[in-house]
Amino acid sequence: MNAQTIGLLTILVAPFAAVVALFLLRERGTRFAGWIAGAGVAVSFAAALTLVPALYRGQTPALTLPWIPDAGIEFRLHVDWLTLPFLVTEAAVTLIAITYSWGYHHKDERTSVFYALLLLFGLGMSGTTLADGMVLFYVFWELMLVASSVLILMWGDGERRGPIALKYFIFTHLGSLLVLVGLIVLYDAAGTDAFSALRAGVDLNPGLTGTIIGLFLVGFSVKMAVFPVHLWLPDAHTVAPMPVTIMLAAAMLSMGTYGILRFPLSIFGRAEVTAFALPMMIGGLLSEVYGALMALAERDIKRIIAYSSVSQMGYILFGLGTLTAEGITGATLHVVFHAIVKALLFMGAGWVITSTGRRDITELGGLAKRMPLAAICTGLGALAIAGMPPFCIFDSEWMIFSGGFHTAHIGLSVVTLLGSLLTVVYAAQLIMGIFFGSEPEGLTVKRPHWAIVVPTALLTALALIEGIFPAMLFDWVAHELPLILGGQW
Amino acid sequence: MTEGSWVVVPVLCVGIGAFAVYLVARLVTKDNRSLATLTAGVFLTGLVTFVPTVTATRQALDTGGSMPVWGGEEPGSVILRADPGALVIVGVALALGTLTSIYSARYVAHDRRKDLYYPLLLLMVTGLCGTVLAADLFNLYLFIELMSIAAYVLVAFRRYSRRAIEAGFKYLVMGSVGTLFFLAGVALLYRERGTVLLPPVNLAPVDPPGLWSRAGLAFCLVGLGVKSAVVPLHTWLPDAHGRAPSSISAMLSGIIIHSALYALIKVSLGVGMSARALGGILMGISVANMTLGNGVALIQSDTKRLLGYSTVAQTGYMMFGIGIGLHYGIPEAIQAGFFLLVAHAAMKALAFLSKGVHRFYLDTNKIDDLVGTASQLPLIAVTFSVALGGLAGVPPLAGFISKWFILGQVLEPGEPLAYVGLGIFLLNTILALGYYLPVVARLFMTADSGTGETPMPVGISVWMAIPLVAAAAAVIAIGLYPGPWWTWVEGVGPYLLGR
Repeated sequence: MNAQTIGLLTILVAPFAAVVALFLLRERGTRFAGWIAGAGVAVSFAAALTLVPALYRGQTPALTLPWIPDAGIEFRLHVDWLTLPFLVTEAAVTLIAITYSWGYHHKDERTSVFYALLLLFGLGMSGTTLADGMVLFYVFWELMLVASSVLILMWGDGERRGPIALKYFIFTHLGSLLVLVGLIVLYDAAGTDAFSALRAGVDLNPGLTGTIIGLFLVGFSVKMAVFPVHLWLPDAHTVAPMPVTIMLAAAMLSMGTYGILRFPLSIFGRAEVTAFALPMMIGGLLSEVYGALMALAERDIKRIIAYSSVSQMGYILFGLGTLTAEGITGATLHVVFHAIVKALLFMGAGWVITSTGRRDITELGGLAKRMPLAAICTGLGALAIAGMPPFCIFDSEWMIFSGGFHTAHIGLSVVTLLGSLLTVVYAAQLIMGIFFGSEPEGLTVKRPHWAIVVPTALLTALALIEGIFPAMLFDWVAHELPLILGGQW
Repeated sequence: MTEGSWVVVPVLCVGIGAFAVYLVARLVTKDNRSLATLTAGVFLTGLVTFVPTVTATRQALDTGGSMPVWGGEEPGSVILRADPGALVIVGVALALGTLTSIYSARYVAHDRRKDLYYPLLLLMVTGLCGTVLAADLFNLYLFIELMSIAAYVLVAFRRYSRRAIEAGFKYLVMGSVGTLFFLAGVALLYRERGTVLLPPVNLAPVDPPGLWSRAGLAFCLVGLGVKSAVVPLHTWLPDAHGRAPSSISAMLSGIIIHSALYALIKVSLGVGMSARALGGILMGISVANMTLGNGVALIQSDTKRLLGYSTVAQTGYMMFGIGIGLHYGIPEAIQAGFFLLVAHAAMKALAFLSKGVHRFYLDTNKIDDLVGTASQLPLIAVTFSVALGGLAGVPPLAGFISKWFILGQVLEPGEPLAYVGLGIFLLNTILALGYYLPVVARLFMTADSGTGETPMPVGISVWMAIPLVAAAAAVIAIGLYPGPWWTWVEGVGPYLLGR
């Protein structure tokens, strides 16, 4: 037990302790449930950051406990450079979502359970990134699904939340099962579930290798919600309560990216993966354009931003598909920056929805005068998602397209670049519809809770700061490259 | 006392316990709690006296010695032999028996004829232990009849309910036809082999069975197939398991039909059927079982019938693992099948017991009536979700890790057929989500009663809460820490493969 393993355990144990406390307190804890949850996840976030110096020293904080010795399965956790950007993003998003809940969630006797489930959702995501074994990975992977579907089921908006939670569960579970087949084949070939054994090379026949890579890509694409396996996303994002939507869109989607980086791109070499490069790039382009067009067609604020995620995940898949250092760095950066901007947009939307009680852009308008701060924050968020410099998404898109131009498919990359124009259109439509034009009759604006305003403003600043000074994050992300595709660049 | 003589002790203990409890009920007290405690005590004593047999069998496996046997081989005597598979099933049955009798202390409080309920429960488990331990076909027949007759009566225990009587009668008719087939099979086998003794699997005759034996074996397979609810002989199961008192359904679904399945495997291998052939048959049936079970479960509106069909499907998963193991000679696959058997017993018992509490306090059967459970019976909402989540294979619960073990072995032989099986298995997993999840969802939905009143939480009797919490803990423990359980079922694979 050295400082590193304690830090590693704290990432999981702190939120878990908060969950236990919340379940024990139940209705007695309603008043301070938000604070307990916030403290748990803040400690977890801080613990994740304390591991960064060790990574810079070239160490890999790890922990191994015996679990099922007879089957070669162990309880292994680790933090490496591939884990770090995802872990930090996820913990930060959970922290923000919980803070936002203080202002968004109406307290009742089930409040403790609400916060406990949010924590479990976050715990599932941090566990997914920390797991160093396939069984543990899958256990946490499904924990995030179970926790988020219960949240949608119990606190979703509208009568259809039951069927939509079910659809979300079954659809994404289908993707998980494809992943599970891949995991089991690898486990079978390696005889152990440790990632290190997989990276050392597994003995599979070539036909099977292709199938496994395909299964992983499709399975993880479901979680990323790339067209055409995005079908669960718009409904789930629309119905979920806003803090859950923030966590779904800003953090959970990126777990699919993590899965692609961790499994097909880390285990197999360039030779095996190359056949999938072009399909990934084309899939990314389709998703980019489709998501943007659907965002243009929608009128519900939350659905517009939800479809924007489908579009943004297209960029990431495109970046991964380039199989170049620039493209993969860009895709990982895009995960982080998309998390910031998407959380910002949803928080701005939540601000508008809670203040006015409306969520259809045709019933809104002219709010810039009455909610100037919301207009500034959401407006800057919209500029950011459209890829305007100096906001952060500009940097990651730059890297992704630069990766595209390093491949032989220049034409495809040009089309993808032009496709990003659509983002500007829907982003502009969203902002114009809410904040400009004539104000519809009967629109009343309530004062928002401080816990809605402060995190939104902070994220706006962060989107700008990260855009101007992305060097540290670039450095973090660049360190992951030796772990991917056998480190041959 | 020799080592082998311990084999009979748990059987005797539970069997004599049945009569003792009956006498106590008639002569001393009819107080339900006393009877339940006494019955639980009998089961626990059986469990404790079973430990020496477990140790002896493990030793025999390690040293390659013979399994502990009780009784003589001369005609007309009872002969019982322990083996690794039987130990697993007896252990599970005695543990489940303990839980259900504690549960019954409250659950059957309003029923009449409690003086019959507990003795019948004990007799059923006596028959079960005998069925899996018997080392000759004739006594196997007697024990399986004992188990079945007790089960028929228990299914129809609430005889004021027309549907319970109907289900019990259906079970009786189909079950009797099954045992009749089995008896005919035994007669045919005896005609050719001249003995009813079942040798241990590694000493089974290696010559292919002759015509009469093959006919006899076919009869036995059909007969035991009815008892273990293989498709298409399963039609009694949803009725019986759906109409029996929930405590009894927990036993029936949790272990009774699997004891018949084990008898089927033991008899087939014991009279010289090749493991390869039996494995092939089991794989074929397993596909039918899981697909039909899951498919029909989707359209059920009655919770307990849904659980009954889920048992048909889960038995299919078990047969799939065991079948792959037997067919391709992989002991770990058989081990995985038995691991699921243990996990399923815990999950299904938990599901039925949770449903029973709901019925007991709120008097409903339909799935739609489960809406609002979370606010009225919070413990039930949690335990029922744990059970159904486990059955659906949600990690980290017991069902997930069982599936991981089975699927991990399916690909081992590298046969194309196994990939087809894997595909069917996964499709079934998805199909199954379609009925488990809506039930879980309803548990947590809030009811729109229209009157604006929120139903008050109902307090649950501690007699019911203890078995529920114990079974839920088992489901979680098996999932989170499967090591010891995995080791517990370790010997079954090598034994059934005759190694």
